[in-house]
Order: sequence, then C-alpha cells, then structure tokens
Amino acid sequence: MISWDYLWPLFVAMGIVLAVVPIAGLYMTFVERKLAALIQNRVGPNRVGPAGLLQAVADGIKIFLKEQVVPNHVFKSIYFLAPTIGLICAMLSIAVVPFGPTEVGEKEGFRAIIAPGIDIGLLYLLAVSGLSAYGIILGGWASNNKYSLYGAIRSCAQFISYEIPLGLSLLGVIAAAGTLNIESIVASQGPGLMHWNVWWQPLAALMFFTAALAETNRLPFDLPECEQELVGGFHTEYSGIKFVLFFLAEYTHVVTVSFLTVLLFFGGWHFPGLTDSVDSTWGGYAVRWCVLLAKVALVIGLIIQLRWTLPRFRFDQLMGVAWKGLIPLGMLNLVGLAVVLTLDLSKWWLAVYSLIIVLLVGIANVASTRRTSTSNSRSNIATDLRSAPYEGAS
Amino acid sequence: MSCEKFHDLRQRWIASLNSYIPILIYSFAVLGFAAVSLLLPHLVAPRKKTPIKDMPYESGMDPVGDARKPLDIKFYLIAILFLLFDVELLFLYPWAVANRSIVTPETKFGILIALLSLSGTLFLAYVYAWKKGVFQWRRK
Repeated sequence: MISWDYLWPLFVAMGIVLAVVPIAGLYMTFVERKLAALIQNRVGPNRVGPAGLLQAVADGIKIFLKEQVVPNHVFKSIYFLAPTIGLICAMLSIAVVPFGPTEVGEKEGFRAIIAPGIDIGLLYLLAVSGLSAYGIILGGWASNNKYSLYGAIRSCAQFISYEIPLGLSLLGVIAAAGTLNIESIVASQGPGLMHWNVWWQPLAALMFFTAALAETNRLPFDLPECEQELVGGFHTEYSGIKFVLFFLAEYTHVVTVSFLTVLLFFGGWHFPGLTDSVDSTWGGYAVRWCVLLAKVALVIGLIIQLRWTLPRFRFDQLMGVAWKGLIPLGMLNLVGLAVVLTLDLSKWWLAVYSLIIVLLVGIANVASTRRTSTSNSRSNIATDLRSAPYEGAS
Repeated sequence: MSCEKFHDLRQRWIASLNSYIPILIYSFAVLGFAAVSLLLPHLVAPRKKTPIKDMPYESGMDPVGDARKPLDIKFYLIAILFLLFDVELLFLYPWAVANRSIVTPETKFGILIALLSLSGTLFLAYVYAWKKGVFQWRRK
C-alpha cells in the first residue's frame, strides 16, 4: 500500500518544511533586527556579508559551536525534554497547513502540504499547537529558577485564556466551508475578492489574529519572557542550542499563524484576476504560489512591525483583553453567526453586525478612558503602579 | 447492523486513518531533527564548568532560597472557566461543520434556539463569574 509513488511527494514536502522553516526562522530574526533598526533610526546588522545578509548564517554556525551549559540545579531530563517538546509541537502543527496551492490540480502527484486530506485539520492544529504550552511550562519548572517558574506560570495562564477566543473566531470560517479541512476552506474562498472570509466576518478575523498572536508569545503578548520583569522568563537558564530550539518553536508558530491568517481569512492563493484558465500551466501554479507567499510575507511583516511599535501589556491587562474583551466579543459574534447561518440570511448581515459591534465597543472604550482619566487622582495612579508587579503571581 | 455495512464502515475508518500516516512519518523526522540539533553541540562545542555557571541566574546576586516554593495562583478558577468554554466549543464545532446539511426550513428555529440557549447559559455563568470577581487581577 505504501509505495514509492505515495512516499516521494511526502518526502519532498517534508524536506521543504524541515529545510525552509529553520532557515526562515534564522532569516526572520535578521529581518526583524533590520526592521527594528529602521524603526529606531539605527543601522542594524551590516557587518557579515553584503548588507549583513550572512548574519543569519553566522548566527546559525555560532549556535552549534556554543558551549552546552547545563547548570547543576536543573532537573536534567525535563530540562532537555522541554525545548524538544516545544519544537516538535510547533513543527507538527505545520503538517496540515498547505504552504502552497494544493487545489490547483495535482502537479505530478506533488501537493504542497505534508498531510493532505485530514478531515479534522483545524482541530488537529489547535490541539497540537496547544500542546506546545507543555514545552514552556516544563522548561520553566525544570530550570529551578524563580524567574523561569513565574514566566512558565504566566505563559500557562495566557495560553489557556487565549485558546477560547481563538476557537470562537474560527467557527464562522468552518461553518461557511462546512469542513475543518484547511485546503477545502481555502477552496471555498475562490475566486473573487469578495469571497474572502475577512469581508463578511471582520470581527472574527481581528479576534483570530489577536488571539493567535498571543499564542505565539510575542510582543505585545510576551509576558512569559518579558526582560524587564523576569530576565528571560521561562528560558532564563537556557543557552546555546536549547535556547534556539525554543526560539525556533516561536518563529515556527509565527509562520503558522501568518499562513493561517492568510489561508482562513484572506483567500489563501486566490487573487482577483487569477481564474482557472491560468492554473493548467506551471506558470500559473508559480503565480499562485507567489500570491500566497506574498500575502504571508505581508502578515509576517505586520507581526514584526507590531512588536516594535506597541508597548507590552501589564499582566492584568493581558488577562483582561482575553476574558473581558475577546471572549464577550466572541460570544456576540457567535450569536450573530448563529442567527445568520440558521435563518439562512445573507452573510453580509454579519459584516454589518460586526461593524456595529466594533463601533459600539470603540465608543464605549473611548468614553470609559475619558471618565477614568479625569476622575483618577494622582495618588490613585501611584498606588496602581506600586501594586502592579505582584499581580501576575497573586 | 449487517455484516456488509460493518465491513464498509471499517474500510472507511481505515481509509481515514491512512491519511494520518504522513503525520506519523513526519513526526519521526521532526524528532530526529530535534535530537540531532541537541546532540551536535555536545560533539563540537567546548565545555568548561565553573561554579558561577552552575548557579541559578538571579541578576548576578547569590540566589535566595529555592524556586520550589508554593505559589498562590489564581489559576484554579481560570482553569475551571476555561473548561467551561472549551466544552462549549466542543459542542459548537460539530454544529459549524454540519450546519449546511442539518439546517432545513423545519429544523432551523430548533437549531437556533438550541444554540442561543447553550451560549446564553454560558453567558450567565460568565456574568456570574465576573460579578464574583474572578477576573479581578489587581489588588484593590
């Protein structure tokens, strides 16, 4: 049953993912440093190779030549296991994400996805990427360091809190396509611009992006590792390759999130003007691929830019965004979705509904900010600030 | 259930499991990738142990006490609420997948009422938790 014809597309897809993801991770750090330099009016890495382009290669070599520091006080087996779990969960969740056009006719049996045709694609993805919290928690506990432990515990709270809005925001996408398979969800968004999911459920798209960003533990959601409070958070005691495995996992999550945002809400490899007649040729296939990767690059750029423009949340604000902001919004969105879908109304009613909700929340937010900023006396604010560092732990 | 129907179901079950074989193979590859990258520095990198390197990092100070301390965490309530909402999601995902095929003019109001009462009940629980101060992370 398992023949060579079955295995070679799998090996090619696996090879692409296993080679490209680490290299992309290394180069994302480079792009991130360059963008940060641009934003902060600096030069950024420019010594290694032309325009600093070989910086990522130098970093890669350096990682492997660094000493493997294993402090005496750590719980050894779990200390080594934790980054491995983090990386494996991050990499496994890519298995159901198409990284190129798959529906556009099988090219000689090759499909740009490791595990095509999984019925429960999105559910699998949520389950496996949710497991990567174990890597962080075990790493933080095994390090036997107070900073690590607090970072790990914060991370746990963050993960489970943002898991719910993430799940709620995906309901509309699933219901529109009638399947959990990501390839079919993308297929249902073709071919025109107006078929993209983001237009008729903008609120869900926004919620998905926010919650998914929180799951990647990046700024402004990087409370588990915030330098000013916790040194390095869960990876305080990690260095060399073990630290890099954690970071590879994080960047893999960023790649997955960017792909998912594009595939689920922004039409994947669909673009207005690209019709089926284009797809029969290899050129058309390449164009589709470029469209998908360009969209993904835009989202990754947005994520990097967010990191360098937004300040970090305070921990109670972080939990508040999930429990007092995103979850009620998700429930409201669900009510609208249920009404629209079961009563078979036009799906554009949901867009109107989402816009009204966003508008109302915005007005309420501005009003409440105005009220507190005028009524809060200086001493009040001072007490707030003093009590702030304890909240994560209490 | 007739024997043929059972056989048919079994075949479909095996066919659906077959689509997970790539994930199995891929997971071995990822495991190998992680193991090799963990082992490689052990072979090529220098090693030198010093007492300072072995200490827990506490901003350059000598560590105070141990990190294995009981910690008052408010997660218990959050974890229970998470379970509550996660179970709701477990009910909602099958609805989302099947929605197209189960909604007919006869059933649509029943489904709508079921959905609204499920999320309404949870919303009541959510409001109750909020009033009880579960979402209060700041000390007053």
